[in-house]
Amino acid sequence: MVNYIGLGALIRRELKRTYMVINQVVWPPVIMTLLFLFIFGLSLGSRIKTLGGVPYVEFLLPGLVMLNVISSSYDESSSSLFQQRFMNSIQELLIAPLSYVEIVVGFLTGSVLRGLVIGNLVMLIGLALVRVGPHDAFVYFYFMCVTALLFSALGMIAGLLGKTWDNLAIFTTFVITPLTYIGGVFSSISLLPPLFQHVSLANPMLYMIDGFRYSYTGVGDINLIVDAVAVTALALIALAVAFILTKRGVNLRV
Amino acid sequence: MGPNGAGKTTTINAIVGLATFQGGQISVFGHDVVADFRRSRQLVGLSPQDFNFDRYLSVEEILTYQGGYYGVPLSQAKQRARELLEQFELTDKRRNNYLELSGGMKRRLSLARALTHRPKLLILDEPTAGMDVELRLELWDFLKIINAGGMTIFMTSHYLEEVEMLCNRVGIVNHGRLVALEEKSKLIAHHGKDTLQEVFLELVGRRTRG
Repeated sequence: MVNYIGLGALIRRELKRTYMVINQVVWPPVIMTLLFLFIFGLSLGSRIKTLGGVPYVEFLLPGLVMLNVISSSYDESSSSLFQQRFMNSIQELLIAPLSYVEIVVGFLTGSVLRGLVIGNLVMLIGLALVRVGPHDAFVYFYFMCVTALLFSALGMIAGLLGKTWDNLAIFTTFVITPLTYIGGVFSSISLLPPLFQHVSLANPMLYMIDGFRYSYTGVGDINLIVDAVAVTALALIALAVAFILTKRGVNLRV
Repeated sequence: MGPNGAGKTTTINAIVGLATFQGGQISVFGHDVVADFRRSRQLVGLSPQDFNFDRYLSVEEILTYQGGYYGVPLSQAKQRARELLEQFELTDKRRNNYLELSGGMKRRLSLARALTHRPKLLILDEPTAGMDVELRLELWDFLKIINAGGMTIFMTSHYLEEVEMLCNRVGIVNHGRLVALEEKSKLIAHHGKDTLQEVFLELVGRRTRG
């Protein structure tokens, strides 16, 4: 038995929260994308003929899309859950006839939707400048959805384990942002010295950005199957941890 | 009733699902609160001691979303919210954020929220803590009306006067144990005392000065 109405109410609540902070949600990625495309794509990028066999601006755009899918998904679930814990309003959900599965699915749905909307918005802005559409629609949506799911689950884990707002920011500043930036958003790992190429293979961001870039340009540094297996496995592990922590009521129940 | 730290709120948390169990079992109207949590939670409405409203929702939305979490379809939840806003004299404030309400209004909203899904048991944790006399009397009137309508009310209180005024059966907890549970007049008579205060002080091991 599933409490579909309860789950629907929780998803609507998450979307309403996003709508109420819409200026924080939409404008930063839009402005950042325009700046990156202008500086790296149209200005500096004009000095780079091609990268990975495609014009640099086409190489850059999918990286920027993934950057925003990752940060939007993570920000949504981590801040929404942490804020509800902080304000104690999470108790409204914990005393309702909602199972832990429904609570996790509710938070993840709102967060994944934000990641997908922002990711596609960034892609639309890019398309207006680049005028080249995705190469493979299925791979495009697969990598976008699984990445959004992965970072929504990581956001939930951070939202559950975090003790302060600082804790959430530290994970973003010291883990997510550096790994994303050196994970191939701006350049190909094939340009790195051999030692750093091998070290880069330990960066999980590399696989999702590379797979997604393949969906857009048709070329990638790594085998697409390896990319897909890596991102799917990471998402499953993060989901399992998010479900287990919520089921145990970690930092939710006394 | 019980002194601070006796286990009153912990008992409530265990009933409603805010505490994990180390042992034992609790049933609400025959439904185990862990194994059959969906049914037991449908039967309980909680007004906690501290306000824990969702700051992103208006007063009316707090009630409709609460109905949603309990499986009430949206149109019915909206209708129920309107009824409760009227009953608790909050209709004028339905579009406001709860942060804009006075203390008494917040407490009334908390009661209304607990009643959105038409529970059979209303749990109130220190419902008048920190309230001035006028607001306390106002809230007592609301509670008497709800109780007269057939609702079972389970409440904790620090105020002996409140317990004298509102409660039929009184339980006293001390150091996590239920040391008395009886109909109010019988409890006083069984202990050979004249007032509930004397019984309370005897059972929690405190003596009056002088």
